Parts: sequence; structure tokens; C-alpha cells
Amino acid sequence: MNIFERMQKLDRRYIYIVVALAIIIPLMIPYNSDNVTTPPTENLYQMIDSFAGRSDRAILMSFYHDAATMPELFPMEVAILRHCFERNVKVFTLTWFPAGAPIIDYAINSVKEEFPDIQSGVDYCNFGYKPQAFAMVLGMGDNIANTMNTDAEGRKLENLPIMRGINNYSEMNLAVEFSGSSAGGMWIVYARPKYGLNVAVGVTAVMAADMYPYLQSGQLIGMLTGLKGAAEYEKLVDVFAAYRDPKRDYSIKIDEDGNKIMPGRPFGREILEDESVKKLIRITTQTKAEFTMDEYLAFSAKYPENRALLNNLKQDVGGQVVIDVTQISPELRTQMGETMYRELNRLTRNTLYKFKVARIGMNAQSVAHIMIIVFIILGNIGYFIQKMRQAKN
Amino acid sequence: MSFELFSNLVGAFFTLCIFSFLYKDNPFYQAAEQMLVGISLGYGLVYTYNRVFVPYVWQTIIIKHQFVLIIPAIMGMLYLLRFSRKLGWLSRYPIAFSMMGVGMGVPMGIHASILVQMRQAMVPIETVNLFLIFVGTIAVLLYFFFSKAHTGIYGKFVGIGKWYMMIGFGASFGLTVMARISLLIGRIQFLVNDVVINGFLK
Repeated sequence: MNIFERMQKLDRRYIYIVVALAIIIPLMIPYNSDNVTTPPTENLYQMIDSFAGRSDRAILMSFYHDAATMPELFPMEVAILRHCFERNVKVFTLTWFPAGAPIIDYAINSVKEEFPDIQSGVDYCNFGYKPQAFAMVLGMGDNIANTMNTDAEGRKLENLPIMRGINNYSEMNLAVEFSGSSAGGMWIVYARPKYGLNVAVGVTAVMAADMYPYLQSGQLIGMLTGLKGAAEYEKLVDVFAAYRDPKRDYSIKIDEDGNKIMPGRPFGREILEDESVKKLIRITTQTKAEFTMDEYLAFSAKYPENRALLNNLKQDVGGQVVIDVTQISPELRTQMGETMYRELNRLTRNTLYKFKVARIGMNAQSVAHIMIIVFIILGNIGYFIQKMRQAKN
Repeated sequence: MSFELFSNLVGAFFTLCIFSFLYKDNPFYQAAEQMLVGISLGYGLVYTYNRVFVPYVWQTIIIKHQFVLIIPAIMGMLYLLRFSRKLGWLSRYPIAFSMMGVGMGVPMGIHASILVQMRQAMVPIETVNLFLIFVGTIAVLLYFFFSKAHTGIYGKFVGIGKWYMMIGFGASFGLTVMARISLLIGRIQFLVNDVVINGFLK
């Protein structure tokens, strides 16, 4: 038996082992890779970002899936929730699946670790599981509070602060549905033509090919495609949360009614391709917080009692102040207090694993794809050589 | 042992049980598969009872005395008669009633899935992409026109439609591979990060 015949008859279990190793090794040893963002993801990001700080705008997230598709859809949901909470965008959540209800709770609780001050009924509202999707989708076009009646905790919607300024799809102007099957179907067919609701979807990669016609025709304003879409959105959230254009004023202002006015943010491919942004894209563990002199003075002014401690930790590198958090011993950490340590650690841009899970997953995805392409090429070469030999004989 | 670690270990055990099928069929895989079906069904049943039957039927009729809801409740219960040979015909009434939704879906479905798609295929051909979409749409539509033999120049043009479809199938295959690998990545991230690193190493 020659090598090509052996290749054709290779036991599939060896292939499984190689696939497993191709995925496990990049996950155990993460490396910095970049996911180039695509227009469908960027459009969705920009639309959600345009709602920042507005009390008369909200988004609806429909968790139309169960645990089976969580590896692809859950990172998208977490990334969008992080974006909304970071930018003060009102979020409503619901599911048409009973098994989707705990996934909503899990997603919100995961993001609350980063935003502990977020309140149910004020910053977000979970409708929970609702039956009769058809009636609910049409009813919300007239009045959300009357249709949904109560949230998942049984509270009357009309009494909740989040409902101030939100009546129907004119205000809750974007629905994002996450699904492994017929994502967005109900919203595209009923809510978009009748009420002009903007619709976006987060779908498993298998479903993406079916959704592209809706994207091309403008019926979907954006789409997140599988793990790649989730990784792109994670990247956009992290990059633009940290990126600061030196010419802009990013301070949050308060108007005479006490409403927060969120600063606008520039968005563009040239920012993502800028050299200064490359360090914000890194997904491996970061340990160094970098400040300009002004930023450092502002930071140390917040903690006057620890100024001496900070001065001991800081290093001057190329005109910038750098603090390496690995130099902070447990005793020092106790001395400076948990609040200051956490803020310092956040400034290292060291994202929690669960908020970069899709990007780390894409490392393994790349390796696995290359391996599968090699398998396909080798298999085909083997097949055709074998066929040629048979023809000769 | 914390509850989180315990629950993660249960998850890890059943993940490995399912993966064991890759070697060969075995009792661990069978047990995990049966439990998945049973737990999903039981969970859905209890959740639907609590979140649908209690608030929409029990509380509204018994507590709020909205007795008019008895009519749709009975109508809905007629579905259950499908299991009866003698009274199974009664289940056709709620089915007939639910056709109302289908009636509404037809015009709106045609609008969303056909008319809007056609409109977007009829835009002025100003870019290369639009030209490619135009050629692809016509060629694929003609490929499925079987009243004329696919021969000569017509056959060659129709062949372009076949190539378009082949490229589409290739893209679908690539996306399918990506989806399946993503599921495996999700499970391995759970085993490596949640169970091994956070459970035992930290």
C-alpha cells in the first residue's frame, strides 16, 4: 500500500486527534491576532453607538436560541451588552424560547461584573420569556408597556424608569435578534414594513449565507456572523472604549434636567488601522498601564493618600509614565485599596477572558481552517493520483 | 468544593461523555444523550407552565375573572385531542384558527422576501458588484428554466449560473465548517478555562 492509498484509508480518529490539538494548542497559548472588521458589523456598532446617552432611544435584544448555539452567539450578546452599558444605551431583552431565559440572565450577570452600577428597570429591562411572538411583535409597534405588561421579575412596565420616553418602535428603534435558525424573520416580515423598525441579526455561521440577501437589500442594517462577527464586535467595543482623539473633548456633561450627555465618538477604518490603536487590539495579558504626564497627574490626584506609593511604582519610558501591575505585591495591593488597584489594572487594557473569548477562539479557528484546507488538498491529491494509477493499470 | 466548580465538573463530565462517541458508540454517550433530551423537555415543560399557563390562563381567569379567555383556552386545549382517534378531528379547529396568522404572513412575506429583493436587483448597474449581481441573478434564474434545452450560447450563459451556485455552495460549506469548529472551540474553552484553569489551577 503506497502513501496515497494509506492517506485515503486513514482512520478518522487520527483526524479527530489532529483537529483537537489544532484547537487546544492555540487556546492554551494565546497570541495577538487581528480580526479585520467588516461593514455589516461596523454598521451595527455605529447604529447602537448613535443611541448613546439618549433617553428616547433604546435597543431590543431577542435571544432566540438555546445553549446549543451559545459558543457562537453568547460572545456577541455579551459584547453588545458591554457596548450599551458603557455608552449608556437603554437595552430591552426578551426570548421566544423558554430555554433562552437563563441565557439572558447569564449574559447580563456576566457584564455586570464590569459595570456593577447598572440597574434593572433603569438601565436595562428584561422581558424574559414571552410566548406568542407574532402578537408581541405587532403589539409592540403600538405600545410596548401595554403589550409586554410586566418584566421578567413581574414588575409593571409602566412604573419602571427605563420606560420614560419609550413607547413603541419609534423609540425602541433597533431590534437585534440572535438565532441559530430563522434569525430576524419575524421582525423583517412584520415589524420592518409596518413600523419601519431597524433590524439586525447575530447568526451562527451556518445561517449567514441565507441572511446575506436581506443585508444586500437593506432590510438588515447589520449582521454579526458566527464567532468571527462576535470577535469583530468585541474588538470594536474595546478599541473605541479606550481610543481618545487628542483634539476632542470626551467629558460627560449634564444638562439642566440632569440628563447625561454622552460625548460623540469618531469612527472610521483609518482609526482602526492607526499605529497607536494596535496596542488596544492586543488580546494577550497586558500588565503595563501607560499614561501621558497630564493623565498621570490627574490619576494620582484622585488618590492623594497613595501618591508616594504611585511615584515609587512609576517608570519613565520615552516621555510616558508606565506602571507595571505585576510589581504590585499583595501587601502593596492591600495598602492602596481594591478600588485603586482595579482602576489601575483596567488601564492596562487587560480585558477579562470572558470579554475576549471570541477573539481567542478566532486564533484556534484560523489554525483549524488552515489545517482543514491542507487536509482537503492532500485528500484530493491522493484521490487523483490513485485514480491516475488505476487508469494506467 | 464551590458550587460553581461542582456544576462545571458536571458539565465537563457530560461533555467528555458526548465526545467519547468520536471513538465509538458507548453507554456513557447514550446516557448523556438521553439525559439531554429528558432535561430539555422537563425544563421546557415546567418553564412553560410557570411563564405561560400560570400568568396567561390561571391568573387571568381565576384571579382576575376575565372569563372571556376561557374560549381561547378551550380552543387551545383542543390541540391535545390529536392523541385521540375518536376526537382527533376537533384539533383541526385551532389549526384552522391559527391559519389567520398564515393569511397575514402571505402578503407581508411576499413583500419582504420577493418584492424588496426584486427591487434591489433592479437598481442601475453603476458598479462592478452590481453588474456581477445582475448577471448572477439572470443566469441562475435561467438555469432553472427547463422548457429550453441548455445548449449553444444559451447553454453557455446558463452554465455561468451553475458556477455562481457552485461558488455559493462553497461559501456555505466554508461557513458550515466555521460554525462546527466554533462549537468545538466553545466546548474546549469551557474545559480548558472554566474547569482546568479557573477550577483547579487558580
